[in-house]
Amino acid sequence: MNLRLPAPAASVLRAIVTAAVLLSAWWAGIKLFGPPPFILPGPERVFAAILKNHVYLFDNALVTLQEILLGLFAGTVLGVSAALLVASSETMRRWLLPLLVLSQVLPVFAIAPLLVVWFGYGLASKIVMTTIIIFFPITSAFQDGLRRTDPGLLDLARLHGASRLQTLRLLKVPSALPSLASGLRVAIAAAPIGAVVGEWVGASSGLGYVMLNANARAQTDVLFAALLILGLVAAVLWFTLDAALARLIPWSDDRRPS
Amino acid sequence: MKRLAAALVALGLSLSPAAAADKLTVLLDWFVNPDHAPLVIAKQNGLFEKHGLDVELVEPADPNAPPRLVGAKQADVAVTYQPNLYLQVQEGVPVVRFGTLVDTPLNSLLVLKDGPVKSIADLKGKKVGYSISGFEDALMGVMLENAGLSAKDVEMVNVNFALTQALMAKQVDGVIGAFRNFEPTQVKIAGGTSTVFFPEEHGVPLYDELIYVAHKDSLGDDRLKRFLAAGQEATVQLLNHPEESWKAFTKAYPKLDDELNTAAWAATLPRFAKQPGLLDRARYEGFGAFMKERGLITAAPALDSFAVEIR
Repeated sequence: MNLRLPAPAASVLRAIVTAAVLLSAWWAGIKLFGPPPFILPGPERVFAAILKNHVYLFDNALVTLQEILLGLFAGTVLGVSAALLVASSETMRRWLLPLLVLSQVLPVFAIAPLLVVWFGYGLASKIVMTTIIIFFPITSAFQDGLRRTDPGLLDLARLHGASRLQTLRLLKVPSALPSLASGLRVAIAAAPIGAVVGEWVGASSGLGYVMLNANARAQTDVLFAALLILGLVAAVLWFTLDAALARLIPWSDDRRPS
Repeated sequence: MKRLAAALVALGLSLSPAAAADKLTVLLDWFVNPDHAPLVIAKQNGLFEKHGLDVELVEPADPNAPPRLVGAKQADVAVTYQPNLYLQVQEGVPVVRFGTLVDTPLNSLLVLKDGPVKSIADLKGKKVGYSISGFEDALMGVMLENAGLSAKDVEMVNVNFALTQALMAKQVDGVIGAFRNFEPTQVKIAGGTSTVFFPEEHGVPLYDELIYVAHKDSLGDDRLKRFLAAGQEATVQLLNHPEESWKAFTKAYPKLDDELNTAAWAATLPRFAKQPGLLDRARYEGFGAFMKERGLITAAPALDSFAVEIR
């Protein structure tokens, strides 16, 4: 068993193997069940659609990527602030937490058309939508982390006369960062949904718009091409963030035995 | 012995209507509304039954799905739009038009009467909202060129199904894809007044807004012929007895008995094809050439491959 590859090479290899297995299963499914291409196109049709429309797809993917990133930024700032507020006192927690939960129960799809009327058909409504979808997992995970600081350490800090702010900055936040990282991982997986829902109810560009348009024109291959690219964008974002988090918060990395 | 005979008679009675009526599933293009009056009246007044049909009307979740479902043999008939038929045929959906429900366009461009847009030329530099149909670029492009502008002079924004809201909230200066028999009333109910521009008066060739399509393998099916016959009889009843028909319609769909649909009813009646089975070959060929010229399809398919008359 001396075949161990360096870590990055191994993960690239894993990605290639996974993609190959999925594509083969898709291809085999098409060969086996033979659905008409307007119901489910085979991978070769979808890749042909990507090649044929690469400029169109790329331009629209950039729009969606921009919405995702801005939404992630806004949602993270909002989520972290909300978590700090909730964790600041037990009273705050009791009053605010139900509101935050309520914000999450709202079906975004139902309020999406309204958000568009309020914030317009441009970038703003998509960022708001993404923010609404992702800020809760971040708030929830981070405030949970803030509450789980080692009580022994907190006692020690009190013994040394640390101020509340010092305790927060030096003890609570660092020990809650791994939880925040988990929240971020959930958020980044959900963010594309926010952007696409936003595009669904009103937009002139973006991958969601491409899908709607392809659907209206019975171009199932283009629809799948847009889906595939959206999946790719989401996967790249997730793995980039995951790697960045592991590097920035090394104490969160429980995968590596110390 | 007597009891057995009675049971047999009962069985025969209960079986005979069911055996005579052939099931036919019709996928509508939208929620039931006055556009579907001939179908609802034919069902409600027993015209389908008279022609030996047991018709089920199904509302879709997505207006673009029905032709593909018929193409996949999940239903018998779909209601769809003539312009979209060319797009479906190009993508290999095996459907053929065999009848017409509404034989004029319903699509229109709507602006607010007290707004800055008095003519199409006033749209220069303005925003137009639309609900994606796959066809609005062509429609708007021609109307703009007809007014001496080009497609670049207007910003097109997909507002999904919120056409009236977008217009009333002044998020856009006009909306295309508004149905002339609905949206003007909707604007009125919301407290506004609108001006309607009709595509066929601004350079767009006439087309059938709503058509019936079936799978190309099922064109010999006798049920389609009977379906059209019942539809035609229903249209006659609609035109001759609009009041009674409205009562029958709202009896079937009590939720639709409101201001919007009452107004739409009157606005829609003159639009129904009086001979649903008739095919205007020149219209279908001409529209194919128009779709090709606007770059929506790469080649106009042979007429007989996607539009027929079944007699």
